[in-house]
Amino acid sequence: MTDIDPKEAAQALNDIEEIVARVRQSRIYDLASQIMIAAGVLVLAGNIANFIVPRQGGYIWISVNVLNVAVAAALFTMGGKQVGVRLFDFRVLAAFLLFYAFGILCSSVLGHFGPREMGAFWPIYFMLFYCMAGLWFGGAFIAIGLAIIVLTLIGYFFVAGFAFLLWMAAVNGGGLIVSGLWMRRI
Amino acid sequence: MAELDDIIHQPLRLRIMAALNALPTGAGLEFSRLKKLTGATDGNLGAHIETLAKSGYVGVEKAFVGKKPQTTVSATAAGRGAFARHVATLQEIIAASGGNG
Repeated sequence: MTDIDPKEAAQALNDIEEIVARVRQSRIYDLASQIMIAAGVLVLAGNIANFIVPRQGGYIWISVNVLNVAVAAALFTMGGKQVGVRLFDFRVLAAFLLFYAFGILCSSVLGHFGPREMGAFWPIYFMLFYCMAGLWFGGAFIAIGLAIIVLTLIGYFFVAGFAFLLWMAAVNGGGLIVSGLWMRRI
Repeated sequence: MAELDDIIHQPLRLRIMAALNALPTGAGLEFSRLKKLTGATDGNLGAHIETLAKSGYVGVEKAFVGKKPQTTVSATAAGRGAFARHVATLQEIIAASGGNG
């Protein structure tokens, strides 16, 4: 039989708590990485499609965003089943709807943004939420969010004309894919 | 007071069991992920998983993903029970001392 003093017992319980927290974060990163890679592929395709047929930008981005929500909902649902928790419910759907409603209010109703401003606003707006999520779910979200915000602003101010769409395909689409792959490894 | 489980009490085995117990029943962790979570070396982790497997506390599943071998470790029902009892004993030790651990 093993005998230990209360100090050692407390240390063992602390070790357990620390590992449980790490496992929880690892599972959050795992699910988030899948969502980020899927979003990255959609955004990359959206920017390239918009570069090729700029007049269809409105339809392209509506399709990209609808698909983005549908894919995220599917991944949330599957991820929730794996951990035995319901991750996607009406509150998550309402959060998505409020997010988009506020974005449309700012960019189209109050702001009357042009295509270039739209191209910068939406990624920055998305990444703001990544940064806020990072305050609860881990610093990797903040690092990814800030990096994409800074690169988006660099493109907005220094990349002229339609090349901005290709810049955003690389920075936002490619950035999300690379970040998702990186998140799997940490 | 209940006794501590000698198999689980070893620090790395305790971390392994804590990580596996944090997953839903039936779910497992890949060897490489478990290594990262516990901070163990390959050899050390392998040896301790073997000890836990011999005691019936974990199940080890080996498969090929593409051409890469993949080892997945999961806690068995017996392992989960033993871990829960071990944690309860640790809590009892602290409680018996008046919570001054």
